[in-house]
Amino acid sequence: MRRTRRRTLAALALPAAVAAIVSISGCTSASTASGTTQAAGSGSKGTLTLGMSQDIYGWDPANQPSYQNWAGMAVYDQLMICNAQGTPRPDIATSWALKPANLGVTLHLRAGMKFTDGSPVNAAAVKASLIYAAKNGAGALRLAGLTIATPNSSTVVITLAQPDPLLTARVLCSATIASPKFLASGQVNNSPDGSGPYTLDSAATIRGSVYTFTKNPSYWDAKAFPYSKLVLKVLTSDTAMMDALKTGQVEGALVSANDYNEAKASGLNVIEMHGETTRLLLTDHLGKVIPALGNVDVRRAINMVFNTNEMAADLYHGLAAPADQIFRPGSAASISGLSNPYPFNVAAAKALMAKAGYANGFSVQLPYLQGVGLDQLLPYVIQQLSLLNIKATQVTLSGPNAITELLSGKYPMLLWPLGNYADSRADIYDYVLPTGIWNVEHQHDATVAKLWNQILTGTAQQQAAAEQAINRYIIQQAWFVPMAYPDLLYAHSPSVSIPSVSDPDALDPQLWDFK
Amino acid sequence: MLRFALRKVARAVAVMLLVTFATFTLMYGNGRGIARGVLGVDATPAAVQAEVVKLGLNQPLVVQYGKWLRGVVTGNLGTSFFTGQPVRSVLSTRVPVTLTLIVVTLALAAVLSVLIGVAAAVYGGWIDRVIQPLSALGAAIPAFIIAIGLVFAFAIRVRFFPATGYVSPNQSITGWLSSITLPVLALLVGSIAAAASQFRGTVRDTLSQDFVRTLRARGIPESRVIFRHVLRNAAGPGLTVLSLQTIGLIGGAIIIELVFALPGIGDLSDTAAQQGDVPIVMGLVLVTTVIVQVVNLLGDLAIAAVNPKARMS
Repeated sequence: MRRTRRRTLAALALPAAVAAIVSISGCTSASTASGTTQAAGSGSKGTLTLGMSQDIYGWDPANQPSYQNWAGMAVYDQLMICNAQGTPRPDIATSWALKPANLGVTLHLRAGMKFTDGSPVNAAAVKASLIYAAKNGAGALRLAGLTIATPNSSTVVITLAQPDPLLTARVLCSATIASPKFLASGQVNNSPDGSGPYTLDSAATIRGSVYTFTKNPSYWDAKAFPYSKLVLKVLTSDTAMMDALKTGQVEGALVSANDYNEAKASGLNVIEMHGETTRLLLTDHLGKVIPALGNVDVRRAINMVFNTNEMAADLYHGLAAPADQIFRPGSAASISGLSNPYPFNVAAAKALMAKAGYANGFSVQLPYLQGVGLDQLLPYVIQQLSLLNIKATQVTLSGPNAITELLSGKYPMLLWPLGNYADSRADIYDYVLPTGIWNVEHQHDATVAKLWNQILTGTAQQQAAAEQAINRYIIQQAWFVPMAYPDLLYAHSPSVSIPSVSDPDALDPQLWDFK
Repeated sequence: MLRFALRKVARAVAVMLLVTFATFTLMYGNGRGIARGVLGVDATPAAVQAEVVKLGLNQPLVVQYGKWLRGVVTGNLGTSFFTGQPVRSVLSTRVPVTLTLIVVTLALAAVLSVLIGVAAAVYGGWIDRVIQPLSALGAAIPAFIIAIGLVFAFAIRVRFFPATGYVSPNQSITGWLSSITLPVLALLVGSIAAAASQFRGTVRDTLSQDFVRTLRARGIPESRVIFRHVLRNAAGPGLTVLSLQTIGLIGGAIIIELVFALPGIGDLSDTAAQQGDVPIVMGLVLVTTVIVQVVNLLGDLAIAAVNPKARMS
């Protein structure tokens, strides 16, 4: 019996000993990681390690994400780089001349740039990349009408069939340029072949988990990228992201508002960006799906049951600013000094509903998608709508058809946080025009059409005036219920400096913002 | 024994066909949504339709499933709709991470639950009184709660282990051990709790049987009585619990992988299912079904080997 007991105790003790050994080795490992962070913080600018909350699809230049695109920024260049105000600065193109009436551009390219495969970044490569983008990925629609001429190896002339005021924002500052040989290879997702400030270190990369890049020593603007190595870690869980931030495993990442206090308490710096406007979209302006929504008094009444100040303070816990218009403050369409056109007044709202003949309200379905940040907001919106006897019910969308169904026009009233852009013509294009993907009923409006034509063909002053006129019109027509500019949060270690965020979408710091 | 094994293999193949066809049926009919997901929200209807045809999602269900099944037989699981990566390549990097967690957890759970169960059954008294409530507690607390607690204690407060990430054993053995220790511990608690109480009960029952009294009366050492005779007779229910644990561990590992940001099949399953990445989803379903069937088969064979009466059933 005694022998048995000893053996049992020995067997129980073995895993404990293993755990102790592992603890010691783990200790060593953690010390190493910590050392790296300290080295980066001490000014050596060795390794920058960032967290990404979603993985990239691959290296296809036509299929890079619209935010958290640090991998794409690391390996690819664009023709120009747009700053936080949407103003372009040189990248591959050193100078450019826009054609009148938004009908194209002539670009002069930087000399001496090379792709990873050693081939030159020239006019032929730019043309090949734009043609590739026109045939593949999300930008295909916008690029479809381009004609591209290359009078010499350093000049590209882009001509549009129709005026496009978003040529700079959505083509010149976003189309990624890659090696023509690579684009023709049919293997664009396996590894990148660009001319960017970093090159992918395939040996130290585990797809879906960790992407490692080493600095491209011959990059034309190498001084803008002080870190010799870039590591991007995919951390899809908020909990894992915060744990990694707190333990120094990553030095910067987007965090949710729920993690704001924890991030601050952990000694992290938190940057607040305002690239979204949460709004209720009332897209059935003609009342074809829900007749009541075709009545402007009903739309105005809906605006009047939301107290945006209280929403910002209570629902967003102070991590938001109340919104009176959908456009970003400071953008061309934004009306500065606008006081709330529809102040919170439930009694007046009810009177408007009665005047419109809808005192008994109506029924509507509000789609919900997990992970969009509507969990606290949607019940409040449903409750406030009920004050007008509007019976709103939540419809949960999920799976591959969720977005298609959301944008199908089946739901003429949508609660959604949508981007507000440095170039407010992009807001008009996406949310106001009948072709806009978020104008889900795609209903034509003569006033908007006339003003948009002025944007397409007018002078800069005429365009700005038309943008403001569209904003005034959609406020007066109550096409939206603007609610809040929520704080989008980027937490980072004090060892990393981010003097400013230059993203025109104001969603995250750009790779060149990390100093 | 061979006939027994062949019967089990035939059943496993039938289950795999059933499960994969059911999954394919559930994924069917989302062609336009999947194509839009691939192309982006502002893709034109014509482009979406072209992508549906390109991906073969316009074909009838049976045709699509038949093509997939033919691919499986020839070793071609297709390529991801979204990343263009071959499914085999994706699975070859992801599955080992999940399997590592499961195998290490299971091995430790098997050893420790036997020892704890035997200790509680043989010694009784305070050991049994401590082990029983701890087992109930361990089984009641979800693994992800334990994981969060472990990270807080051993990665944030005391930085013994990394909070997130995975190191391959090819890169560093100590790094690998360090990266899997907390995830394995999180999974281990529930596994041990369930299996140990099962072993305790069956060992206690066996200890009270006549043959044990006879063995003791013949002067056979107690350790031999317990580990050679009692455990062999008590192994059946314990092995069944362990094989069920393995199946449960697949689900548990998927959650734990998210908490520790391990590049296993957890996050991949979630993303692929949401996007409708049919080849990836089918690859994952195939792998998990194979794992479950193999574990069931091994469990049945082990029980049959230990207890010949089981071969009759």
